[in-house]
Amino acid sequence: MFLSLDANDKRPIYQQIADGIKALIARGELREGMVLPSVRQVSGDLGVNLNTIAVAYRQLQDEGFVTVRHGAGATVSSRRGHQPEKKEALLKSLRTALTDWILAGFDDREIAAAVQQELALLQQKGNSR
Amino acid sequence: MSSPTGVEINIFCITLILFFWVFYGFRNIWSLPLRHGDSFFLGVEVSPGFYEGPGIPWLKSYRAMVIALHLVWAVALVAIVVLRRWDWTPLWAGGGSLLFMVPLLAFFAWTRLKLGANPPVRAVALALKSRRLGDYISWPMESLIAAMVVFSWWLLLHHGGTHIAWRDPLFMTWWVLGYLPGKIVTVHSGSPLPVERTEEHYQYQDAARRYAIRVYNGMAWFLAAVLFGYALLHTWSPAKTIPLWQWLIVGVTMALWGNYMIYIVRGQRQLTKMGRDLCPSGSWATPFRRAAWADSALINPVMRSRPGQIWFTIWFGGLLVFIFYSLR
Repeated sequence: MFLSLDANDKRPIYQQIADGIKALIARGELREGMVLPSVRQVSGDLGVNLNTIAVAYRQLQDEGFVTVRHGAGATVSSRRGHQPEKKEALLKSLRTALTDWILAGFDDREIAAAVQQELALLQQKGNSR
Repeated sequence: MSSPTGVEINIFCITLILFFWVFYGFRNIWSLPLRHGDSFFLGVEVSPGFYEGPGIPWLKSYRAMVIALHLVWAVALVAIVVLRRWDWTPLWAGGGSLLFMVPLLAFFAWTRLKLGANPPVRAVALALKSRRLGDYISWPMESLIAAMVVFSWWLLLHHGGTHIAWRDPLFMTWWVLGYLPGKIVTVHSGSPLPVERTEEHYQYQDAARRYAIRVYNGMAWFLAAVLFGYALLHTWSPAKTIPLWQWLIVGVTMALWGNYMIYIVRGQRQLTKMGRDLCPSGSWATPFRRAAWADSALINPVMRSRPGQIWFTIWFGGLLVFIFYSLR
């Protein structure tokens, strides 16, 4: 299982890693109980600072997606959980993304199709596991 | 049956090394530049048609250097045979590896500087598979090697008497025990993966890691057997006096040496096959990391990580110190 990190992506590396792992959890490719590589291994393989990876893992831990135990590494703790308290924040980020799409010149039908496609992709990969 | 003499053992070692080199080593080193196909020269990406034009002098220079190194090595062997200085055999074998290693590494560095100074920056993939020591290192086997070393020392210290040249068992102990940290560093070392054919690159890297550990294991077994044999020959009466025992000890250590060579040949063949049309790790840089200065087919991947370099410097430096003192 692999994450792609793009040079042209504007997000910082730790964010790309955290978002990538979350996407894999959402798709069901990373399941509960699976062990993630250690911070040291990831930083060595990528050639980035240990702290960068530690920040990504800490973020995932704070959001409840992984459990980090000293000596045992990071383990995926849940695929998804019902979190109604996050709805408002998620709506805000959805609005921001939709605004960007509209400003980029896409019409309603194109945006809806893209959303459907992405959802289908997540469902398909999630169900295939 | 007479006891094996130092001369016989040295001649046998030379024959084994030559056999290995003629049937495998030379061919491997000769074809290194084209190991990843004609899009690369020593792991550096080259333009199409390179081998019909600008690459011709590069290939010729490389091969002239390979021939020259072999000539120097052959002259040293002839000197041993003519002067009957069979005791120089370990120096010839060990010095041979340095003789080849230094100019080859210099050539790799020169190639990188002239042909691949600015490798392309590409997106990178991250493998989310955890590498645990136990998946690569067999702890029972490590314990057995350690037990052989400890038992050898027990024999030497309690039954060895005053005629032991302590430098030899110390040298072998440093050599054999130094492999374990090297194996641990190898498990933890990794290279970036390209986003194209990621799975194949991952499998190739993993095979290279397992190969390096198998080679270390092979050498560690051989050295542990040499140390154990040395202890037996200096402390155990039957081994001191009965030629059959002596030949048995020599035979077992030589078999382990042969086994080590088989590891190398089989592992290198497998890696050559797997990596033939894959992108060499030294041919591209990631957004976060410079390109490795040499492809993993050219130098052990562990040598490209900081912990690996520290381990190698301490361990190999220690071996050089022993060799230096033995020459004084």
